Amino acid sequence: MKFRAKIVDTACLNHFTRVSNMIAKLAKTCTLRISPDKLNFVLSDKVANGGVSMWCELEQENFFSEFQMEGVSAENNEIYLELTSENLSRALKTAQNARALKVKLTNKHFPCLTVSIELLSVSSSSRVVTHDIPVKVIPRKLWKDLQEPTVPDADVSIYLPVLKTMKSVVEKMKNISNHLVSSFFSEKSSQVCSSGCVSLEEPCLIIEANLNGELNLKIETELVCVTTHFKDLGNPPLASENASQDRNSEQMAEVHIDIRKLLQFLAGQQVNPTKATCNIVKNKIVHFDLLHEDVSLQYFIPALS
Amino acid sequence: MRDERQSVFGKAIQALSRISDELWLDPSEKGLALRSVNSCRSAYGCVLFSPVFFQHYQWSTSVKMNDTDKILNLNCRLGMKSILPIFRCLNSLEKNVEKCKIFTRSDKCKVVIQFFCRHGIKKIHNVCFQESQPLQVIFQKNMCANTLVIQPRLLAEAIVLFTSSQEEVTLAVTPLKVCIKSSNEESMDLTDSVYSEMFVGPDEFDFFQVGIDTEITFCFKELKGVLIFSEAIHAPIAIHFDFPGKPMALSIDDMLLEANFILATLADEPSRASSLQTLCLSQKQKRSEPIHSNSKAGKNVTSKVPEYISRKVEPKRLYSNETPTNSSTLENCGSPLMKRANKDITEVPESDGDISEVPESNVSDTEDVPGSPCLRKFSCMFFGAVSSDQQEPCSLPFQSLATASDSEGHE
Repeated sequence: MKFRAKIVDTACLNHFTRVSNMIAKLAKTCTLRISPDKLNFVLSDKVANGGVSMWCELEQENFFSEFQMEGVSAENNEIYLELTSENLSRALKTAQNARALKVKLTNKHFPCLTVSIELLSVSSSSRVVTHDIPVKVIPRKLWKDLQEPTVPDADVSIYLPVLKTMKSVVEKMKNISNHLVSSFFSEKSSQVCSSGCVSLEEPCLIIEANLNGELNLKIETELVCVTTHFKDLGNPPLASENASQDRNSEQMAEVHIDIRKLLQFLAGQQVNPTKATCNIVKNKIVHFDLLHEDVSLQYFIPALS
Repeated sequence: MRDERQSVFGKAIQALSRISDELWLDPSEKGLALRSVNSCRSAYGCVLFSPVFFQHYQWSTSVKMNDTDKILNLNCRLGMKSILPIFRCLNSLEKNVEKCKIFTRSDKCKVVIQFFCRHGIKKIHNVCFQESQPLQVIFQKNMCANTLVIQPRLLAEAIVLFTSSQEEVTLAVTPLKVCIKSSNEESMDLTDSVYSEMFVGPDEFDFFQVGIDTEITFCFKELKGVLIFSEAIHAPIAIHFDFPGKPMALSIDDMLLEANFILATLADEPSRASSLQTLCLSQKQKRSEPIHSNSKAGKNVTSKVPEYISRKVEPKRLYSNETPTNSSTLENCGSPLMKRANKDITEVPESDGDISEVPESNVSDTEDVPGSPCLRKFSCMFFGAVSSDQQEPCSLPFQSLATASDSEGHE
């Protein structure tokens, strides 16, 4: 298994750093999948993540001036590494104003992703900074859980409003619902089982949208009900024809999700994406499909049952 | 003092607070010294503000007539918890406080800090102090083989590389380059931590003198404290060091003040530890004679009796009951040395009963090195205040270093 790549362009480096920061906010631990033409940051939908899954994809040639990889074997020409996302983003943070950045897979006592940065400095000599980030190589038998998730047939697809606005709204709603939920339930309930049954502790947010460009975020508690309405958002063309014929464009498709997961997703978006779509499968799952310049991010939040 | 000087004063206190929970205020004719020593004696900081730093500086001594006819200085020890909050919000200090006056009332054992603020507001803080003889370390900076002088900016850029959970960092130098990196010990223990290193060329230093190729490991937290202070006064930092095990000094010299932070460094092997030169122990009234002769004796003594006691200070979480095995796996001194170390430390004479014994006197018993931020495997700088009253005991520390067979006085 071999991997070496190099970035020399400052804009590419900054973009890569931003992507890494975003991943660090979305997932504490994630899988880095390296293939001949792509890099993916993957989070699979395990119970530990609360059922949330993420698939981030970037074309390697948009970033790296040099890229060589050799996978596990010829037929399986891929490498799957598990790492702590923050380690990578922190290492990249020290690479501002770098002349060049090299990443390679090394084995120093244990497998590492070695990030080596050549910094421009005021004086003639350049500085070299190296970070050895410990990684775990994921064996082939576990690869099937880390494949690109299938995009479900959505009941409603809608473009998202400005994410910063959405985030501040959701934050305020979380504070309200948190306060009220915790005052009702004094002891922790049982854990979420794999089918996603409701834990009394999870503050619930209802996200609903229709084909008329309307999106609502609602929280409902015993004492108060707060709804934020977004209008005129626009809908992307639906994939299947049947759906558009049958459906009343005013009808809302809704999903009940854990508000904290939505907030974590929104907090990870520091920059407003080039394109942002939300696909709702009634009572099942919310799928966010974002495009940050040339990097695509898909994020799935399952419904609370 | 006024304005930005208050901020500098406050930053000095903040930097010293990273070393320990206690601060000594030590006025003398040279100026006002603020000193701090950590509980395991592996770090010492002293910031000396010259009288010119202050708008008005007055120091008077009370001369006591007694047998030795000496001058008694103010021995004032303050808890960091009491004084740090006063100087914590430096931004608001700068904006609101026009003048700051500090004086002591020794009759009531209090230090009074008065802030004359805008709009006629006057804030008065009374901080009680305890009588306690300050420790002083004299470090021969110019005797160090290696000296680097750097701008604070360079140090700040290096510090960014490491996470705040990083305990120790290693500085490695050769005449061609300098490298600062995560300490090897740590990165091998925890497979989860990132190992980082940065190589810098000699031309990035204001002054670069490398006499011997060496690698020293020391505490990261204290380094950060020094950086904060140097950034406040925009002065370059001089780093003086030698071989592993010998303490290193970080010093900042300005017209108005002189700051010295002396940190212990990790010793390499037991044999190295024993050949360390002494840090002179002294009190303000320098009793140089016994000390010099002792240091000579110290140097002559073979590996059995170091004047520098290298020992491991166990971290709170690990190894607490496994001292013997650990001492063999860790590079540092073997147990015979430590046992002697234990004995020696407990025999430090105490002046005025105020200087507490080095708490980790016996590594094997401490589960918890009391209140200390210490790191494992550091060589302890061994020093104590030797009171001027006790002329005889002055030689005691050195005497006790000897094994039973050659306990004949070191003079």
